Amino acid sequence: MSRRVVLAGSLTGALLLTACGGSSDDLDPSAAGGWSQEYAGTELNVLAEATLNSDILAQMAPEFTSMTGIEVTIETAPFAQLVQRATLDFSTSQGDFDVVSIPYDYLGAYAGSGYLEDFAPLMEANADKVSDDFRQENVIPGLWDTAAQWDGAYYGMPSNSAVTMMMYRQDLFEDESEQAAFMDAYGYELAPATTWEQYADIAKFFTRDAGEQLAGETLSEPVYGVTLAGKRHEAAVFEWLNYANSFGGGVLSPEGELILDTDESVDSLDYMSSLGEFAPPGYTSATWDEVTAQLQQGIAVQAISWGDTAGAMENPDQSAVVGKMAYGDIPVLDEGDEHHALHGAWTYGISTEASDADAAYLFVAWALSEPVQKQIGEMGGVPATFSAFEDPELLETLPSWPQQLRSLENAVARPRNAEWPQMLDQLMLQVSNGLVGEATPQEALTDAQDEITGILGDKLPLTEF
Amino acid sequence: MRWARIGMQAPSLVILMLVLAFPLVYSLLLSFQSYSPVDPAADGRWIGLDNYARMFTDTQFGQAILVTLGYVVLAVALETLLGLVLGIWLSRLVRTRRLMTSLLLLPMIATPLVVGLMFSFGLNPQFGYMTSALQSLGLIGEAGVLDSPVGAFAALVVMDVWEWTPFIALMVLAGLSAAPEAQIQAAQLDGCSTFQIYWHVMLPMIRPVIGVAILFRATEAIRMFDQVYILTGGGPGSATTVNDIFQYRVSFTAFDMSYGATLGIATFAVVMTLTWVLFRYLNRRGAA
Repeated sequence: MSRRVVLAGSLTGALLLTACGGSSDDLDPSAAGGWSQEYAGTELNVLAEATLNSDILAQMAPEFTSMTGIEVTIETAPFAQLVQRATLDFSTSQGDFDVVSIPYDYLGAYAGSGYLEDFAPLMEANADKVSDDFRQENVIPGLWDTAAQWDGAYYGMPSNSAVTMMMYRQDLFEDESEQAAFMDAYGYELAPATTWEQYADIAKFFTRDAGEQLAGETLSEPVYGVTLAGKRHEAAVFEWLNYANSFGGGVLSPEGELILDTDESVDSLDYMSSLGEFAPPGYTSATWDEVTAQLQQGIAVQAISWGDTAGAMENPDQSAVVGKMAYGDIPVLDEGDEHHALHGAWTYGISTEASDADAAYLFVAWALSEPVQKQIGEMGGVPATFSAFEDPELLETLPSWPQQLRSLENAVARPRNAEWPQMLDQLMLQVSNGLVGEATPQEALTDAQDEITGILGDKLPLTEF
Repeated sequence: MRWARIGMQAPSLVILMLVLAFPLVYSLLLSFQSYSPVDPAADGRWIGLDNYARMFTDTQFGQAILVTLGYVVLAVALETLLGLVLGIWLSRLVRTRRLMTSLLLLPMIATPLVVGLMFSFGLNPQFGYMTSALQSLGLIGEAGVLDSPVGAFAALVVMDVWEWTPFIALMVLAGLSAAPEAQIQAAQLDGCSTFQIYWHVMLPMIRPVIGVAILFRATEAIRMFDQVYILTGGGPGSATTVNDIFQYRVSFTAFDMSYGATLGIATFAVVMTLTWVLFRYLNRRGAA
């Protein structure tokens, strides 16, 4: 036997061994932690939103591989690019991604087009293959329904629990000189806003120029009473929905009729626009990124923002307001009204072109298992389970945690119908028009109503959204 | 021999077909259909000329066309004017011409994305250095440039002028360098002033070069996308929604692929017409 043949044989052997590296033969059954090793050797590609949750999962994925033998590669992309890549992958049946984390308002578009696996059969078929660490009842029910239920079936599980809440500077609210000045000016005690009227009063009260006093200190830079996202962007539409929901307006009535041009919707956009006077200059070119940065820098006192940015407020490397922030419910129009946050959840869906839907389900269940969810919370992400939000250790270090859970329990969803992408595009334009004064709020929302009526045509009233 | 020639050309022809003809034909077919990858009701059924009819009655598209025209006319006019002055100035330099010409190339070689990001940071209302400079000159208020429709539109024009004026200047410089010396010397002997020489002798000689440069810039400016996407996203409102941004939103935000294809075909027709005008002009000049 020549040396060349021996070498070729050795190489072939090595390649075969490498190829079988993920097989169940190499796995230690005692390390499975209750997870099935039946799908060992499967390679999964996951497309997820570019958030901390996804980064944490990518870091933890080797643990999943060592327990199950399933290899996982996680790719991340920002909102718009993720939606485009997912749509391209789904519509061309490429099957590049087995698991895709999608914004929940695209559920109707993707599930309605048959791109996502129905989860019920997968959950049933794999009931004995998942560890006890995953419990269905641990997933927050309202969140799961919003994130994954479409037309009577579940098409995924929540991949994160982004939800809106009110963020404010507690240290300023507790300052005695500010409390006294507020009482003098408005005739009631300075406290976190529960109504939009109070929210606007507080915004006006705390807006100060450089050289003025704030909590006993002379300001070197101006401070603004509020910050908001007003760019022609999803961020502005989602922010407006918080006001609209509590004013009794919004996009669709519970009966599925468009209500964009109602007095309540118009008043809510008018109100949002009025807050601009007390916001940092240039708010009409700001998205949630600028809102987060302005809160972190301490140049804005309050905002309606996403729970998944609360971690950034408490990060000493990035934030000048560590330990100074507190979190509350989204205000209401009138005292006694029910508080409503806005869901911003994302959903793990399994592509109908997935190489192995069962293995993909195992990955999703693992991502929602108790230890992983706790780790996500510990590392600054936003989990989707009761156990993480009620974990005593996490509660001690994460001041926003109780509010996030409260917001998740009272949150409402934005529409999720197949035409939502087109509707959202129109809303981005018209909300921006209303905020920059290109049109009055009435004109802007009437235009939005007309355009979206044209998009939906005879599908109105919508039966599923 | 004939077949050998065709065979030699075949690989490039096949590649050309794949990258040019296929997307064009596919878009053309799509423009007669109703298709959205995220709407089961828009399943690709044939709808004839409905998308084209919609295009002609779409006020938002009309607005995008107006914004694009305003942008192209303003930006290219300013670039031509400044480029002309800059080109003449360059032609009069002796020692530093090479250095200045190299420096002028810098804005042109920056990728559109980088240019967009540079202006985006510079015009940030809180910490942008361009904002600070403009505020200290008293030209803008504290809300910055991008807060108002007029300001955002002006920012786009200025960004394009900054990036592409050197192109016109270099074309002018090339034209002036190639101008026949005899006529200039004759004008000098006739006692013409420097201004008269440029205005009456040199500029008429380089007019064809300027014409070509303007046409090149116009066809480029019509397809402006990256910088606008980064700097304003088309806003505020629809103040900076140029044609390509509008098409992008239709196709890849709203996923109305067939209508997006219709708009693409219309743009293609306009750009092709401009290109045809350009080549016809060049051929005539060549023949003359």
